[in-house]
Amino acid sequence: MAHTDVAVVGVGYSKHVSKRRDVNIAEMVWEAVSACYEDAGLKPKDVDAICTGNMPAFEGVNIPELWGAGHWGAYGKPLMRITTGGTTGGSVAHGGYYAVSSGLFDTVLCIAFEKQSDGNSTMGLNTVALADAAAMFQQGVDPGFLAAFGGGAVGIAVYQAASYMKRSGCTTEHLDKVSVLCRTNAALNPYSHLKQPGLTPEEVAKTTLMQYPIRFGHVCPATDGACAMLVTTGEKAKKLIDKPAYILSCASCSEEASLMGIAGSGTTNMDPCVQESCKIAAKWAYDLAGIEDPRHEIDVAEPYSPFAHQLLMFYERLLLCDDGEAPAILDSGSMNLEGDLPVCPSGGVISTNAIGASAMERVSEVALQIMGKAGDRQVKKEVHKGVAHGWGGAVNLNVVAVLSDTPRRS
Amino acid sequence: MDKGVAIIAYAQTPFEADANASREIQVLEVAKTALEAAGLKQEDRYTVISATNDYCDGRTISNMRLVEPAAAYKKNESKVEMDGGYAAIYGLMRILSGDHQVALVMGVSQASVYARNIPGIMMLDPTFDRQRWLLNEVSAGALQARAYMNAYGATEEHFAGVAAKNLDNAARNPLAYNKLAGADAAKVLAARKLYEPITELMLAPFCDGACAMVLASGEAAAKADKPVWVKGMGFAHDSYLTERPLEEMGSLELAARSAYDMAGITDPASQIDLAEVHENFAHEELMAYESLGFCGKGQGGSFFDSGATLLGGDLPVNASGGATGANAVCATGLARIIEAAMQIRGKAGEHQVEGVNTAVATGQTGPCAQENVVFVLGGE
Repeated sequence: MAHTDVAVVGVGYSKHVSKRRDVNIAEMVWEAVSACYEDAGLKPKDVDAICTGNMPAFEGVNIPELWGAGHWGAYGKPLMRITTGGTTGGSVAHGGYYAVSSGLFDTVLCIAFEKQSDGNSTMGLNTVALADAAAMFQQGVDPGFLAAFGGGAVGIAVYQAASYMKRSGCTTEHLDKVSVLCRTNAALNPYSHLKQPGLTPEEVAKTTLMQYPIRFGHVCPATDGACAMLVTTGEKAKKLIDKPAYILSCASCSEEASLMGIAGSGTTNMDPCVQESCKIAAKWAYDLAGIEDPRHEIDVAEPYSPFAHQLLMFYERLLLCDDGEAPAILDSGSMNLEGDLPVCPSGGVISTNAIGASAMERVSEVALQIMGKAGDRQVKKEVHKGVAHGWGGAVNLNVVAVLSDTPRRS
Repeated sequence: MDKGVAIIAYAQTPFEADANASREIQVLEVAKTALEAAGLKQEDRYTVISATNDYCDGRTISNMRLVEPAAAYKKNESKVEMDGGYAAIYGLMRILSGDHQVALVMGVSQASVYARNIPGIMMLDPTFDRQRWLLNEVSAGALQARAYMNAYGATEEHFAGVAAKNLDNAARNPLAYNKLAGADAAKVLAARKLYEPITELMLAPFCDGACAMVLASGEAAAKADKPVWVKGMGFAHDSYLTERPLEEMGSLELAARSAYDMAGITDPASQIDLAEVHENFAHEELMAYESLGFCGKGQGGSFFDSGATLLGGDLPVNASGGATGANAVCATGLARIIEAAMQIRGKAGEHQVEGVNTAVATGQTGPCAQENVVFVLGGE
């Protein structure tokens, strides 16, 4: 069997802003792809296969690669489109990992993007609920339950946040602090969307309350943006660059028992903040990567956190501390850029959310931190290993990737 | 592929116009049957890859709500938004990586729940082609048919002949939907015209259906009864339909080349015993003969005339009836792979072809067969 090491050798981003009216999807993605080719010192001819993904209903296009991918260098190449909702970008990166580690391809271009201003993301999200609603009507379910869907993504998140706070002792002040941590990191990241240097928790606490406990200041923006990543075999990576970031392992876990149901409960009345599938995926990924003690072996973490509480919640679910410990760790300053285990140095999803791209941008940020190419937001400590996470579906899908400066196999 | 990956089990629902079951029920049925046939239980370790399309399913994140029915609860699960053949490719990659030993792959679509042409129209370039409202998958297929006729002199009679063959073959396949025992070219030509030169019987019908397949590493397949080995595979992306010569299936040719290289096939016409081709229209099967190297460029029509691709011919194509017999968008290519595996195992029932040891199967995504996947399968 081919057991090939996989390494990230290049990362590229498009501009990330609310509305890109100057380019179409193919052009916006090309910005990221061309930057990525340049970063790795590779050309389209060096690429053996391509993995792509976005959330098609957000732009109102079905498989945009059909007319777009030719512009990214896909002509005549194997192309696989992987889409899994919020986890899409992570799933695309996983696809790249498997394409190389299978031994079938040497160099794979991973592309994830979202151009939300082309469509209506809330409408796109509504079809998640409306499909369920249609099915439930056929079964004679009382339409009153539809009220629970009224809040869109925020409506889902508030239940989770309140539940997490109850379980962990996290306070609204902690949520404010998470926003400050992320938005000030984002200010150092040229590819982030919401940059708020010098933001204070008091300012966040004054933003409009959307639905308790979530305020405007605790929520991600809607972003247009694309991310591209070149992965290749360990052998080729060593020849290309001095310090490749190896993808040691990838794992996903699905658990629809926790899927959002009536009035915020899971379909089996499971608490949406439990996120056992995240713990399982993390365990699988750490095991494959040979990591026995993630709390001490992981140097940087990029949990997927479009809502402030999720940074703390997923920090716990990624097994970086015990359940309920994250708020105190935040208070200790350990999550800051100069801390022991910096979290979301990129600014995280709460600062930039081009949905399909977001879960891949977690992987690419960890890769950049390992490569030492994160610029002003490079964490102070030496980075050997990092974990990148993605979350999606309706609170039920989790993807985890572990990256390192040393390869897994050879 | 040294140690290799094998198909150890599969399952298909009947493909129907309006199934009396939701997609969840159809997926549950095939996932359960395939796992049982593979001797696997829900608590065993395996990875799950599904192929669905958000537009066909009318829901964002179409793998949602499929997790439990697809036996993917607390499994390492992902989704390709392409033909089911790509789910097989991704499952294969995951096994070859060494991280997984077994993959359950599946595809499902229910045409009865979406407006027929809409998912295809949403595939078009939104700036120009979608706005004009002229192109859809069928009208684009008609342009492709005409381009192929103009380039190589293929005729409507050829297309009708291919469709008649497939409809007749489908009559022997209990899972097919469009069946017409004893169909002939005249009958196909007399059917309702959709877009010149395509008649209703030349078109792969839009169906409800699901299929699933279990792939296993060489080690995990050792205990299996009659494993069917993946000898080679390939897939490729072609340019958008307005930016390429429509008389060629370039991506199918590239995918076949890669699959043949892997499988050590140098003379496909003599080394391959049977083909299951994903043709959305009769003319695409003729084009596939050429791209798969069964005959020279432009000779698809005369190759068909030779009778080689009939059920009793030297190289039967679509003994199952192909997509002309049954087409549930994201399941169709995977169904071709399963049909090819059934033939190699000698389990194809009434449409069984004698002595099949090496077979090729294809799947496609996008208007005018823009993206193609090819599998070469073999027995022991």
